[in-house]
Amino acid sequence: MIRGTLRAAGLAAAASLLLSAANAETVRFWYHFDNPDNPMTELIETFEAANPGITIEAENVPWNSYYDNLYTAIVGGNAPDAAMVKLFAQPRLMEMGALEPLDDRIAAWPGKDDLLDNILAINAGSDGKQYYLPVQYVVLYLYYRADMFAELGLTPPTTCEEFREAAIALTRDTDSDGQTDVYGFGFRGGKGGHDHWLTMALPKIEGGLDGGSLTGDEAIAANQWVIDLFQNDKVFPPSAPNDGFQEIIAGFKQGRTAMTIHHIGSSAGMVEALGDKVSAAPVPQCGDGAWTAYGDESLAVFSSSENKDAAWKWISFLATGENNVLFNKATGQLTVTKSGSENWTLHESRFVDATVASLPFAGVLPSSPATSDFVNVVWPTAMQRALTGEADAKTMMEEIQELYAN
Amino acid sequence: MPRPFPPVMTAIAADAPPNRIGQPLLPYWLLSPAVIVTLVIVFFPMAEAVILSFHDYLLWKPSSFAFVGLKNFLAALNDDVFWISFWHTFIWIGLTVPAQLLLGLVTALLLNRKFPWRGLARALIIVPWALPSVITALMWRWIYDANSGVLNDVLMRLDLLQASFPWLADPDTALYAIVLTLTWQGFPFFAVMILAGLQAIPRSYYEAAAIDGAGAWQQFRYVTLPGIAGVLVTAALLRLIWVANSIDVIFVMTGGGPGYATYTLPLYAFIEARTSLDFGYGSALAVIFTLILGVVILLYLRRVGRELAV
Repeated sequence: MIRGTLRAAGLAAAASLLLSAANAETVRFWYHFDNPDNPMTELIETFEAANPGITIEAENVPWNSYYDNLYTAIVGGNAPDAAMVKLFAQPRLMEMGALEPLDDRIAAWPGKDDLLDNILAINAGSDGKQYYLPVQYVVLYLYYRADMFAELGLTPPTTCEEFREAAIALTRDTDSDGQTDVYGFGFRGGKGGHDHWLTMALPKIEGGLDGGSLTGDEAIAANQWVIDLFQNDKVFPPSAPNDGFQEIIAGFKQGRTAMTIHHIGSSAGMVEALGDKVSAAPVPQCGDGAWTAYGDESLAVFSSSENKDAAWKWISFLATGENNVLFNKATGQLTVTKSGSENWTLHESRFVDATVASLPFAGVLPSSPATSDFVNVVWPTAMQRALTGEADAKTMMEEIQELYAN
Repeated sequence: MPRPFPPVMTAIAADAPPNRIGQPLLPYWLLSPAVIVTLVIVFFPMAEAVILSFHDYLLWKPSSFAFVGLKNFLAALNDDVFWISFWHTFIWIGLTVPAQLLLGLVTALLLNRKFPWRGLARALIIVPWALPSVITALMWRWIYDANSGVLNDVLMRLDLLQASFPWLADPDTALYAIVLTLTWQGFPFFAVMILAGLQAIPRSYYEAAAIDGAGAWQQFRYVTLPGIAGVLVTAALLRLIWVANSIDVIFVMTGGGPGYATYTLPLYAFIEARTSLDFGYGSALAVIFTLILGVVILLYLRRVGRELAV
């Protein structure tokens, strides 16, 4: 009798375990944070406590191979349920049929009214559907060494001509050993540096990157102007062709460069290293209008996910009020919620001001599947070859033109 | 204690040819796990790469998959980057393997001499080989760093350089800088192999040579070198295949840049497939490189076959 009862109890326990396992949903989530001490664990714990039955498996994928991994995982049938994604990848992900439309879910989501005005429209797909839920944003601006500018009686440049003059003046041998030890501008010649180049060249390219006039005289001259800054004026460090994010930020923090372009995400580290010596201003205007990169980051649910409801719950949780503030504390970027923006204390005001002042002329890359190739392969290779004299300004523009033409 | 075979059975076993009834399948059974694993994770993807190389296949455009015959191969032969990468691969192998071999040979000769703490030196010499490639690559990237790298610092202190030089950002030096890194990483392999070869040469040979009046150089030329020739050739062939395929160090140190300055054929194939997501063209590049490398592999297999036959 006792044995029978025990057996029945055991069976019931096993059945309930099996049942809860069947009900449990796991959401695989990919993200990329530069900051190693990120609060993802805290966010996951809060979410899982509020949503019993959903487990979040969050994986921090290194940025340099983030999209390589994402595309191959999607094609290989092993895509995560949800991930952090940028606008430039949207056309390609749409082409792959990898994205789940979120319009109905967003419409029924109470958090949508707390999102910053117009931010959903900026992130909409080319077919008018909403695939991306914004989670943070930044705008690139000019970091400059206020102390060096004051020492030389300079003011932050507002035009490209002023920028060049300032960069030449700031490129100096400060310890009189006959060698240049401070360079005017930390140019990012490696992957991700297209934003620097676009700021200096894009306003002079009629119709933009995909407008078909990249090989016009004015566009080639604009590119040559950037190349000359390195080859003739020598205002970039000699390592510029290979420099990536780490190098330009380290170079600025260590006082080897007097200006560079990046976003508010770097400001905390800059202030820690340089204190009041670092300040910020909108990027200079080159040509008829200024252009700077709007750095977006959104969340998406993948169409292959078997747990779309749970995945949506998780990403909408991250885009909501306090959670979004906590998320942005890790990335050092700006919240997409109105409630979070009201009491924003994460950054020093001069960096927030530079961001806000840059918003009116901030833009995104063309919504084309070619943009991924432009960012990851064509621009870095062509720029490096142009900077090192292995190709000329015209060849580089022809390569980019061909990419968008195809 | 194992039970001895009865005398009759022992006699049969000793006289029996290896392929008697009941026996012939045994080697195949024993080999099958390794063969199956190799088939699944090596030959199957290889066959798939060959098939893909005859197709247009952009990973992000799955609908565009189409058979194009030899188009990708012809495109490769007309592609400037292919020939740049081909030439770099030639330099990459041609410099790295001999440099590793020479450095390994000198190290092995030194380690074969008696000196205090020789055991420790023999253990430490393996460190570069034991380090993961990514660590090696990152370490050397910082050594070469134009702004805070130790190499520039040392050269400037010695007055050999007037200003710090961007070793990895200059297309004239980037490839050679990585060759030096790989030489450092790979020479312990030669050192250990050659050391084993040296220890197999009987001392009596040297004593006989000395009695005949042979000097140090003659002993090296007529006793040591012939004694380790077999090891040298096998190790060099094996290393040649590894070095030719090696992209991890290049990828971490420069990613192929600046421009195409450090592109080798396998790296070009990898970038085309993995970053540009053009699996058709990337596979064609990989197939072409495999065919070229196949000649070396054939040499190696023939050599191993001959050794096994002996």
